[in-house]
Amino acid sequence: MADSGRLALIHAEIDGELDGRQRAELARALLADPEVQVLREDLRRVCAALDVLEDVEPPVQLRESIVAALPQSTPSPARSWWPAPRLRYAALIAGVLAMGAILYETVEGLRPGPSDVAGTIAAAGAATTLDTVRLGNGVVSGRVSLFRDRGELGLQFELLASAPVDVLVASDGRTLRVNGLGMRDAPGGPRTTIALPAFGRSGEAVDITFLMAGREVGRATLRAPKEP
Amino acid sequence: MTEDGDATLVRRCREGDRTAFEQLVVRYQKPVFNAALRLLRDPEDARDVAQTTFLKVFEHIGDYNPSFKFYSWIYRIAINESLNALGARKPCEGFNGEEADAALGPERQLEGQQTGRAIEEALMRITPELRSVIVLRHFMHLSYQDMGDILLLPEKTVKSRLYSARQLLRDRLLQGGAI
Repeated sequence: MADSGRLALIHAEIDGELDGRQRAELARALLADPEVQVLREDLRRVCAALDVLEDVEPPVQLRESIVAALPQSTPSPARSWWPAPRLRYAALIAGVLAMGAILYETVEGLRPGPSDVAGTIAAAGAATTLDTVRLGNGVVSGRVSLFRDRGELGLQFELLASAPVDVLVASDGRTLRVNGLGMRDAPGGPRTTIALPAFGRSGEAVDITFLMAGREVGRATLRAPKEP
Repeated sequence: MTEDGDATLVRRCREGDRTAFEQLVVRYQKPVFNAALRLLRDPEDARDVAQTTFLKVFEHIGDYNPSFKFYSWIYRIAINESLNALGARKPCEGFNGEEADAALGPERQLEGQQTGRAIEEALMRITPELRSVIVLRHFMHLSYQDMGDILLLPEKTVKSRLYSARQLLRDRLLQGGAI
């Protein structure tokens, strides 16, 4: 039976993802194990059969039926977690002030004792809030703030929801998932702080997708200014 | 098909231009319909899903975040709507494993269209989650990253699901003598 490493090589070959070293490794595995050869041929046949299935033309009436079913009103105007530019700045200032208060409470309330291990982010007075988004779409409420602490980015979530919220954080091709936020009785309460090592160094947006039971229930985008 | 084109159409759409939306329908009706068809294997259901998908796009285009690719967004809606439609099916409407075994009798020599049919039947015998990755990779020819964006999964999980799906398809097709 081919092990998972060899299986991964076969699939990567099919997808054109092998580098030179992996190609050589696969070649050795194929020479050494006839079972790997058979599996590779089978999987190549399966994928070849999948790839030749032709697309089907949609029914000719589909476009007309979609257009006919559109509501008479025009699409809803662009919405954002922020209601308007002026309010955005006001909310940002409020968010920074609130964040300062939260960090003060956090640092004062959770200052590690002599035997505690300090977290990667908590550091008295060192964190700077960069962006904050308030959430309130009826499913998830609260806020999320992006901050920088000694050169590292971090996110602080203060969420409340009726069911656990999973969060997918994405920036510049990197992704991170945090599960089970938003519950009042969660360890540490509704506030969760996570470090984002190597995220957003070049000022990219940090995109956050909020999921509940696997379904998207909201999005937010925060931005960190480019590091000098 | 370019992202710039999509972005322009979406912007016009958000400004209330219905003809821009019609252009998006023309551009995406075929991939959306085919994704639904591969997941549901029923043209009527696929048509309904395609229609619902575009109506949702129209209703929520103001919520669309332009920093994401438009096609990732619309395909995500299409996949979710297809999975909802599958979930709403009565148990007897799903494809039955024993029926599939009978359909793929060992002595059948399946070539050309028959192989295609065997593949389609085998697809219906893997879970919708695994079928989704096959559809996105092999029928919509998307990258692992795009698949992750659409399914809201890390690339590693996408690959793992894709590999599992292919191996299950291989097992099903071998059982039926189709490969």
